[in-house]
Amino acid sequence: MAEIKDNTQVWLDGEAKSITFIVTKDCQLACKYCYLVGKNSKERMSFEVAKAAVDYVLGNPELFPDQSVIWDFIGGEPFMEIELIDRLCDYIKTEMYRLNHRWFNSYRFSFSTNGINYDSERVQRFIEKNHTHLSIGITIDGTRRKHDLNRVYKGSDRGSYDDVVRNIPLWLKQFPNGGTKVTISSPDIPYIKESVLHLFSLGIHEVNINVVFEDVWQEGDDALFEDQLMQLADAMIDGGLYKENVCSFFREDIGKPLDISLENSNWCGAGKMLSIDAEGNFYPCTRFAAYSLRSKKPIIIGNIHDGINQNLLRPFLSLDRLTQSPAKCLSCEVASGCAWCQGENYDAAVTSTIFQRSTAICLMHKARVRANNYYWNKLYCKIELEEEQLPKSSCPSCPL
Amino acid sequence: MIEYLVILLDEAAASYCHYEVPAQLQHRPISAEMLQRGIRFAMCQNLAIQFVYPHYEISAELDDIVHSVDHYKIMPVDIDATKADVVVVDGFDFDKAIQLRKPTTLRVVNDEFFARYGELTPLLLAVPNVNLVFTDVQHFTKADLDAYRCAIDHLSEDVANMYIADQCLRINLLTDRLSLSKMNNCGAGDASLTMAPNGNLYVCPGFYYDEPENCVGNIKQRELEIPNGYLYTLASAPICRHCDAWHCKRCVWLNRKTTLEVNTPSHEQCVMAHLEREASRRMLAKIRERGSFMPECEIEELDYLDPFDKRHLW
Amino acid sequence: MVTKEKVGQVTAEECAEIKQLFERRNGLGELAKILTPDNEALYEKLVKDMGVTGAKFQQWWDEKAAKYQWKSAPNGNWEINFDTCEIFLIVAE
Repeated sequence: MAEIKDNTQVWLDGEAKSITFIVTKDCQLACKYCYLVGKNSKERMSFEVAKAAVDYVLGNPELFPDQSVIWDFIGGEPFMEIELIDRLCDYIKTEMYRLNHRWFNSYRFSFSTNGINYDSERVQRFIEKNHTHLSIGITIDGTRRKHDLNRVYKGSDRGSYDDVVRNIPLWLKQFPNGGTKVTISSPDIPYIKESVLHLFSLGIHEVNINVVFEDVWQEGDDALFEDQLMQLADAMIDGGLYKENVCSFFREDIGKPLDISLENSNWCGAGKMLSIDAEGNFYPCTRFAAYSLRSKKPIIIGNIHDGINQNLLRPFLSLDRLTQSPAKCLSCEVASGCAWCQGENYDAAVTSTIFQRSTAICLMHKARVRANNYYWNKLYCKIELEEEQLPKSSCPSCPL
Repeated sequence: MIEYLVILLDEAAASYCHYEVPAQLQHRPISAEMLQRGIRFAMCQNLAIQFVYPHYEISAELDDIVHSVDHYKIMPVDIDATKADVVVVDGFDFDKAIQLRKPTTLRVVNDEFFARYGELTPLLLAVPNVNLVFTDVQHFTKADLDAYRCAIDHLSEDVANMYIADQCLRINLLTDRLSLSKMNNCGAGDASLTMAPNGNLYVCPGFYYDEPENCVGNIKQRELEIPNGYLYTLASAPICRHCDAWHCKRCVWLNRKTTLEVNTPSHEQCVMAHLEREASRRMLAKIRERGSFMPECEIEELDYLDPFDKRHLW
Repeated sequence: MVTKEKVGQVTAEECAEIKQLFERRNGLGELAKILTPDNEALYEKLVKDMGVTGAKFQQWWDEKAAKYQWKSAPNGNWEINFDTCEIFLIVAE
């Protein structure tokens, strides 16, 4: 049996209801690729607003029939509001228990943090209190050079690498399966290989990496991207890193044609989740809040006073691949695994609609597929050779 | 494919559908030059023309231009509508429409309909076709839908009795579904466009009055290209393409107003169409108790009122 | 040094049962850190619940161990993988 590390399963991925609190629109950093165009230090969620949202959600179980819940906290940087979060999580736990809510038996508190104040006393006390129900991801983009290219402090060009990397050992001690999210934009492409390898060397065994959905790509980026991924593939396979590490760019199930009659579901979960901002407004996903949008009006589907307007959720819940995809995507030979973000689709659409799929990543996806094919062909060839101890020349599919 | 051009002869031309004309709008007729250009545009694009009249008699100059081309007239009942192809009546004051004996569009609000639907019989018997339109669908509550179920059931019994008595009549809510074998909806943005007096093109007059800045083109264009035009087709409407309430208006203006998407109907629009479908089904069964009637028509009984609730089966 | 050896498998239903008890036990444990006796009704409910859940949890392991006759060791304990329903014997040497 080949020893290839699999992706760690996200807790009840796709089955749990995700309730996201946008606790602040402030962040210590001003990352250059950040899609949040309207960050500011004024819009902080009050406990009263957060409590009203929890009361609405827990008080209307028929609207949220899911068996499990992920209470998600984002920003800006969520841990800048650790006092609010701590108080709110205590309230959530107590209320779920008091109401005999089914979610008391199946919940998580989830965070995606820049990691800067991870070791602060308040954050550590919170972690200690809620450890078995926490899912915390620290975002680190790779080597100092790559990380500091984009993840710089607000108001200066100072990189944040040193302040994040010092917290990685503590985080991995507390969450040994912790994975990180890496975002690739056009200027980052030359650093992909070294960055992923660097993250592995830090002890982060799961690197979830994706290219931004925005239309930022330059001519030639796809070739450069493919080359970086092939170099990464060589390093992971030749160095045996695939046994203990996983990089989400390489997945066996991508790059196949899709039969629309069998696989017509929407890629994105917008509308199946609920986001709440500091004003108490509800969104189908954070990407539809004003601070995330460049050119469109926010889509507010309700608020803590009036509840959710179910009619505004209907487009999100009836969206399918067929309706929103252009013909070139429906007939694409490498369609599987090509992702989209409903918020970016909306933001980039020529009319005010979520039914127009943006294809800005088309060439990047195709480049990824080619490198991915190379990765798996090479990996299986190596494993076959090792297992069967055959001479290299007897492996027909291996070009190497 | 766009086949019709609706031309508003005044900025405050009468509404003939769900939308309202803003009360503060002054009457301002289309200019003769713009009307001529609109007609020329329609002819070049091979579009049939429907003129929508205001609540006053248009000038002789405009009238002459109107009659320079084949067309279809949509006229409010409060002007001389003897030459109308469709007469539009707001509310239940339809005595004049009975005299005119023309196809009639009746625009009503729900409370008035629930209280007075029993008074429709003389109109139904007098005119070839009644097209009943609610102007407040976007405000329907659950209680309104319950009341609608009751009203449409009673109305269907009345209509069935009229059929049994050999009286022929047509009312969109109940008889359209019997004669259809596929979706037959409003078609705005797919089969028709509207030209406002300023020469801009809109999906329908409702879009002109709600979002005048969001036109989909102008008659100066040589080619008709509606941004994201596919969204107005049935194939791009995930809920509707799985539905067989074929008579449903599938009003894209209401869709946009209630769900923010032109291709997605509100719960209320779907439930109303299904209550009508069910009433049509039972009406058909009742008529057939007295003998053979439209043998080619079959309406299956459903266990839902909103196809959205069955999306897991698609 | 810790060794980990697969010693058995339970059904999906059995796995779901212990997963729920596990989650509840964790939830109660973390609630106990913040609930104080002055919240009388809830505190009493919690204390009782912790006892009942703990007992059910232990009962599940006792019953399944008897049913499947898993291998055991003096310094060992069993662990379950909720994704695969596999049972492992963990021995600290």
